[in-house]
Amino acid sequence: MLQKIVSLVCLTLLVPFVLLAQTPPKKPDQPMGGASTGTPATYTSRRTIGITDPNAPVIFEDVTDKTALASFRHHSGEAAKDFIFETTSGGAAIFDFDSDGRPDIYLVNGSTAAAMRGKEKAPRAALYRNAGNWKFEDVTDKAGVANERWGFSVAVGDYNNDGRPDMFVGNFGVSRLYRNNGDGTFTDVAEKLGVARKGWSTGASWGDYDGDGRLDLFVPGYVQIDLANLPPSPSDVNKGGSVGQNYCQFRGVPVMCGPRGLPGEGDTLYRQKADGTFEDVSVKAGVSDPEKYYGFSAAFVHVNDDKLLDLIVVNDSTPKQLYINKGNGTFEEIGYPSGIALNENGREQAGMGLAVGDYDNDGRIDFHITNFSDDSNVLYHNDGDDNFTDVTFQAGLGEVSIPFLGWGTSFLDFDNDGWLDLFVVNGHVYPAADAHQWGTSYAQQALLFRNLKAKFERVGAPPGNALANAWPGRGLATGDLDGDGRLDLVINNLDAKPVVLRNVAATSGHWLGLRLIGDVAKKSPRDAIGSVAYVTTGALRQRQDVLSGAVFCSQNDMTLHFGLGAATKIDKLEIKWPDGSVEAFNVSTVDKVITIAQGTGR
Amino acid sequence: MTHSLKHIALIAALLLTAGSAVAQERATLLTGAELTRVVPTGFYFQGLSAPTQMRNAAAARFGKDRYVISGLVDTSGYSADVRAKYVGFLITDAPITLNGESLQPGAYGFGFANEGKLTVMDLSGKDLMSVSISNDKDLRRPRPLMMTADAGGVRLYNGKNYVVIAAQ
Repeated sequence: MLQKIVSLVCLTLLVPFVLLAQTPPKKPDQPMGGASTGTPATYTSRRTIGITDPNAPVIFEDVTDKTALASFRHHSGEAAKDFIFETTSGGAAIFDFDSDGRPDIYLVNGSTAAAMRGKEKAPRAALYRNAGNWKFEDVTDKAGVANERWGFSVAVGDYNNDGRPDMFVGNFGVSRLYRNNGDGTFTDVAEKLGVARKGWSTGASWGDYDGDGRLDLFVPGYVQIDLANLPPSPSDVNKGGSVGQNYCQFRGVPVMCGPRGLPGEGDTLYRQKADGTFEDVSVKAGVSDPEKYYGFSAAFVHVNDDKLLDLIVVNDSTPKQLYINKGNGTFEEIGYPSGIALNENGREQAGMGLAVGDYDNDGRIDFHITNFSDDSNVLYHNDGDDNFTDVTFQAGLGEVSIPFLGWGTSFLDFDNDGWLDLFVVNGHVYPAADAHQWGTSYAQQALLFRNLKAKFERVGAPPGNALANAWPGRGLATGDLDGDGRLDLVINNLDAKPVVLRNVAATSGHWLGLRLIGDVAKKSPRDAIGSVAYVTTGALRQRQDVLSGAVFCSQNDMTLHFGLGAATKIDKLEIKWPDGSVEAFNVSTVDKVITIAQGTGR
Repeated sequence: MTHSLKHIALIAALLLTAGSAVAQERATLLTGAELTRVVPTGFYFQGLSAPTQMRNAAAARFGKDRYVISGLVDTSGYSADVRAKYVGFLITDAPITLNGESLQPGAYGFGFANEGKLTVMDLSGKDLMSVSISNDKDLRRPRPLMMTADAGGVRLYNGKNYVVIAAQ
């Protein structure tokens, strides 16, 4: 009996441990990585060039050779691309620098190591004045904006509220701030005003984060590079004892190093003071990026639609950052809890470009971000309350983007149906991509997606059409270059001539263009960066934001463009100005660009 | 009878003590300064030392002073074939189990070269064990590497996939 009691007690006490020890591990529901990203595979064909569809409509026509832009050549280091700084330039901007109503074009150029050392002439950036009817005049010399430094980015903003758009040009080296003098010339005032940032400056953004009516400037930093002490190079692989033999490989092939393994750069926020000079408030504001992530793109934008501009920073190979403006001069970084930092599988991605727009017309800003090949681009839906969901694959943007290495990306309503479509330029960083069966290529086709009410489908490329061509694309800018109500595109290609794409879409709806002018007296920047326009036609309410930067080191025309579909009248136009005030306007006709000044009611 | 009762009491006490010891092995997840104090800033594996991605490092304390530490490393310095199998390290100063399989104290590399498995390697890159991974499809905000509490110890996550680490 006693033994039974002993046994019972022992058994009772032992059972939990036995059960615990015997609890089998949960079987995996799916293979490691789930909807895996970043997994290399071998392919028998390239999926980034030569993909055409004879039944596809003609949307864009390549008109480059009919313009002066055909003579521009981007130049960034050597063809072998032994070093990372040779692979990522450069941006493009569409903006009306001379205020004649026709958007002009600026193309950033790269440089060479020899030019950086003063041993050869540096490549030149170029400014083209739009003379109408697809005539562009190279006014670079007169304007004084050739840069002649290793350029990467351009961000437009009227920092001095004089009604003339100015340009920040982000360089590897010392960046420039070109003040628009209003007479067709610019003056570099970066040193004088305190924004001559050194290092490797990438996709900057202007925005009035502190609500004083003066634009401030955020500049991401990428990688620290010392030209006198360069990283290992794939060209050194066959030299005895080279560390490069094992140091930098992609799929077993020697390639240039970086960004992983190289020291990153912090980011910089310049606050504009009352005297027009700038002070570095990065640390104080909490946006200095002490982790030194590899910053590529940024935008001041209203994430939570309070009256304060928030900030998103897209980083290469490291988490993305989302800064919520607390209204006291500081930001709270919520990249991880918001869902922006990583993709749906919790993976860090090689963030490159950034598109900002309300693709599903729910009134909130969403983000599309481009990534490396063997990985999908990513679409973040804004769920409200500072939460985002990665909806890439549900929206139809996942699988198709995997072979591509994406750069500039923009939401644009190319067919004016009231739903934001998407354009993405691509191109690999490794020339070796053409010599191996990686399923990708060095030059790559661009991707155009039609928005079918928040689901996207790729628009095919008719054989021989512009979209059938492959380019080593980087920068991208959108704007209506010919004033016909259809958005055109400019692509800046690495080591190549740019591409000007004229929108010739036959199925185009009605449209409305808005140029906004903020009231400086009410503490809104004059160029209205940070404004939001809401256009209602029937049951459809669209939103467009006046933005500086984003895309990839580039600048879209700040004229807001709304596709209206079949609607011929605007039921409601509301503008939320940077100071937080909201005005409603009557719009009598469509299919034109109208200018609206804050506080005037017209 | 008295002797027998003493026996019962002794056995019960022993078992309770063991239970209490196990209870004391309940894991505490480390954060902040406690975490950075134990996570190495770099890790040696197969001929190279690579920096730890501190943002992707985690550690747990079992009982009073037994630690399990894990982190992803920057593998850019490795050849492609090593990068294919090695992503991070696992350090334990006490015997543990990974999904029930024993692992002795030591420092190891790990990776996911075999689909659906976590492979633990010694510092020379030799495979030591391979355990199946569970998937937490409902995990809302997955991270490249993190630990969370689990009834049996801690879960070591890579994205939405995890293994359970328990003290032996």
